[in-house]
Amino acid sequence: MYNRVARKYSREEIERIISVCENIEKRGLDPFSIDVKELLSRLRRILEENPDLDYYMLDAETIYKIATVIALQHKWLTEKAKSLFIDSQLITSRLTILDKKSIVQAFLKAWRPIISIEQLTSQRLHHGLEHFLSLPPRRDERTYGWKLTEKEIELSKIYLEKEREEIEEKMRSLYSELIGKTREKGEIDYWEFVSKPSIEETYDRAYILSFLISEGYVEVKKNPLKNELKLIPNTEKVPRKNTASLVINLTGGAK
Amino acid sequence: MSGEERISRKLMIAATMLFFKSHRSPGVRGWELKNRLGKNYMKILELLNHKLNELGLQIKTVFEDESSQDLDRARFYITLTHPLTMSDLVTSDYRIDEVAALAITLSIIFSRGGKASLRDVLEILETKFPKWKAETYIERAIRRGYINKSEDDVLSIGWRTRVELDQKELLKAIIEAQPQPEKTNKDVQEDTQE
Repeated sequence: MYNRVARKYSREEIERIISVCENIEKRGLDPFSIDVKELLSRLRRILEENPDLDYYMLDAETIYKIATVIALQHKWLTEKAKSLFIDSQLITSRLTILDKKSIVQAFLKAWRPIISIEQLTSQRLHHGLEHFLSLPPRRDERTYGWKLTEKEIELSKIYLEKEREEIEEKMRSLYSELIGKTREKGEIDYWEFVSKPSIEETYDRAYILSFLISEGYVEVKKNPLKNELKLIPNTEKVPRKNTASLVINLTGGAK
Repeated sequence: MSGEERISRKLMIAATMLFFKSHRSPGVRGWELKNRLGKNYMKILELLNHKLNELGLQIKTVFEDESSQDLDRARFYITLTHPLTMSDLVTSDYRIDEVAALAITLSIIFSRGGKASLRDVLEILETKFPKWKAETYIERAIRRGYINKSEDDVLSIGWRTRVELDQKELLKAIIEAQPQPEKTNKDVQEDTQE
């Protein structure tokens, strides 16, 4: 009975030594806070009292952990030498006393920041372009790759020109309609003007109207208290000095 | 191409490699410089360093393993040669509070042999900053590479500190620093009038 209890305590003692060594290693505690010589003599005593395989294995592990602490002691001494053996308590108390500005001034004496530039060079840009052009097409229909032929470029220019003319025509028509509808009051409710029975037509009118507003042919007056949006046409194009964005949710307001 | 032109071209290549960040972090490995500049790359770096010194810059070599001093595996950086002033700092993207927190953290880590628990560091930082600010500054220092944090919440020196900081100089400066005298009402009035 006595032997079993003694064995249990011996085992716990070895485990405690291992845990202390592990704590020093993981938490970066002072490795000189333990007495290695004393630990080794305790270990020897335990091993002499319990000469079996279980203890030999535990002993090997403990010796390894103690060796790690000795290696840490060596490292600690090197680091301490680098820091002129200044006591950490002294540094802590200095830091507590000093104000932020004095700490920063002390730091600046020892700080030489790295100088580096984060910017694309023309060479890098060229590499990027080469890589981009060498990428395979993502879909089957784009078998022609990324490079457009001259004919395709010509066609796309014609198409864009045609689209621009169509939009300009629609802008003219919508602008005259707005002038006509605001002749009496000088303004009209946004939704009253934009809304049409067909949703496509409503969307189309809102889209064209956005160009008229951006170009300075129409002003928008917003009253957040009444949740009102009024359109006021200008007699001629007014150049925009301060531009701002206005988001209008058509799904919420279109009737 | 004459010898002088060749050297001048190599100097330009070396400067571009060192100034422009081509990896996630700044700095160039010795073997990368060797590939572009040839086996005498250290001579080119010496020349470049001489030219940079005139501008208040220098090439700094950081060895991966101090004992082996292997130049091919070392990293080369460009750093300032002179200390920044408070007014330089104000115009940089560092806040004074952030630098103060960094100085406190690094001083504690240096004075404890290169490692300190996050809890201990925060305890001291919280004497100067609110907790959330102290935690933010620590996170920012980790992101910038000044400190590393292990899974057990132990802080250690990061790669950037090894390049930018002189450990002895920092601790010496902290010991020697004098707290700024608190301004009296009269001083404040004079400052306002100025």
